[in-house]
Amino acid sequence: MKTLIQPRDERTQPTRIIAGYPQTPLRNPKEPLVKRAPTLSELTGPLEVAKRVKLLGGDIAGHGERQAIGQLIHLRVRVLDEDGAPVGGTVVEMWQANGAGRYVHPNDDDHAPPDPNFYGAARLITDESGLFELRTVKPGAYPVPTRDGWWRPPHVHFSLFGKVWLQRLVTQMYFPGEPLNAQDRILNAVPDAAARESLVARYVPPSGKPYNALVFEHQIVLRGRAATPEQK
Amino acid sequence: MMIPTGEATIGPFFPTRYVDAGANDLTVFEGRPAKGEAIEVRGRVLQEDGATLENLIVEIWQADAAGVFRHPADPRHAQADPDFLGWGRAATDNQGNYRFRTIRPGAPQGRQPHINFMFMFSGLMRILKTTMFFDAGPDPVLDVVPFSRKELLIGKKSGTNLYTFDIRLRGENETPFFDD
Repeated sequence: MKTLIQPRDERTQPTRIIAGYPQTPLRNPKEPLVKRAPTLSELTGPLEVAKRVKLLGGDIAGHGERQAIGQLIHLRVRVLDEDGAPVGGTVVEMWQANGAGRYVHPNDDDHAPPDPNFYGAARLITDESGLFELRTVKPGAYPVPTRDGWWRPPHVHFSLFGKVWLQRLVTQMYFPGEPLNAQDRILNAVPDAAARESLVARYVPPSGKPYNALVFEHQIVLRGRAATPEQK
Repeated sequence: MMIPTGEATIGPFFPTRYVDAGANDLTVFEGRPAKGEAIEVRGRVLQEDGATLENLIVEIWQADAAGVFRHPADPRHAQADPDFLGWGRAATDNQGNYRFRTIRPGAPQGRQPHINFMFMFSGLMRILKTTMFFDAGPDPVLDVVPFSRKELLIGKKSGTNLYTFDIRLRGENETPFFDD
C-alpha cells in the first residue's frame, strides 16, 4: 500500500522558463523551491476521484451522422510506475485540438474551423493492466499566438491522478515523424533526448484491428514504486 | 527502473467541463455531509506583474476532521470519515479568485493541520505544489521553509470559518513552493 517517491532526474523534466514562451518568466517561481521529505500527507492521495467528477468515456470521434472530421486514430496508452508495474484504476483526463488544430474552448478563437461533432475531451479510468484506449481523430497542428513562427505539433494532453499526491501528472503526447516536433518549444524544454523520445507515441503498422483507424501506442510512467515488504 | 514521464503545461485550453460543478465543495460527498467544522478557503492567484489569472486550476488534498487520510497508506485509514473524499478542484474566476468549501482538517500524526495545494496553468511547465497551514506550530514541512517566508503559508483567518490563502506565483511575497 505504501508508495516510495524519489526525486526525479531534472534532465527528464522540462525547464520551467522557456525562451520564446512569454508567459513562463512571469509565472514560474524565482525563489528556489523548498526541498521537503515526503510525509504521509503527500504519500496519500485521492483514489476515488471518479466519485466526484463525471467520467466521459474514451470514444470521442463520434458516430453515424455525427462523426468528427479527421484521420481516425486509436490510442492504446499504458500507465506504469517506475518499476513498470501497471497503475490500474486511476482517472485519466485527455484533451486535444480537432483535426484542423482548434480546441473547443473560449480561449481558442484562432484561424481554424470548429468541428461541431468534436468536443475533444475524454475522461476515463485505467484497467487493471494500467491500460486505457481512446478512439479519436488525429489533432491538427496550430500556430501559437506569439506569431513568431512557433507552431504546436499535433499533440494530446493527459492529466493523471495516480495513487498518491506526488504521482499527479500533467503531460503531453506527441506523434512520431512530425516535422514540427523538432522545433516545438514545449517538447524540447525536456533536456534529455531519451526522455523527450518517451513523450512520442509509437506508430503501430495496420493489422486490421481496428480496420478503420491508425493505431498508436504510448506509455506513461508515473513517479514512484510500490514499497516491497522490507521497505515498509 | 523506468524514467518518469516528463511533465508539461496544461496549456490555455484545459476543458471547462473538467471543473465539475461542486468539485470545489468537500463538505458533501455523494450527497452526505462530512463530519467536522465547515470552512471556506479562498484566495487570489497573481503572477509577477500582478495580472490576474483566469482559469488557473487549483486542486487540494487533505485529511478529514480527525486528521485521517482516505487512503490505505494511512494506518488509521479504517477510521476515515466515509463522507469525506479529501480532494477538490477549483478554477480561478476572471479576477483570479478561487474558493473551496471544506472541513477544517484535524492534525495528522506528526503534523500540524494543513491542506495540500497544487496549481496548474498555461505556462506552468511543472505542477506547483504548496501547503496551507492554520498556525505556525512545529511541523516537518513548515519547518524546512526559510523563516522569513513561513508566514506566507499560513492561511489568514478573515471571518467566521473563512480563511484567505493568496498565491503569488512569482515576485514580491512569492509563495514558497516545494521541490517535489
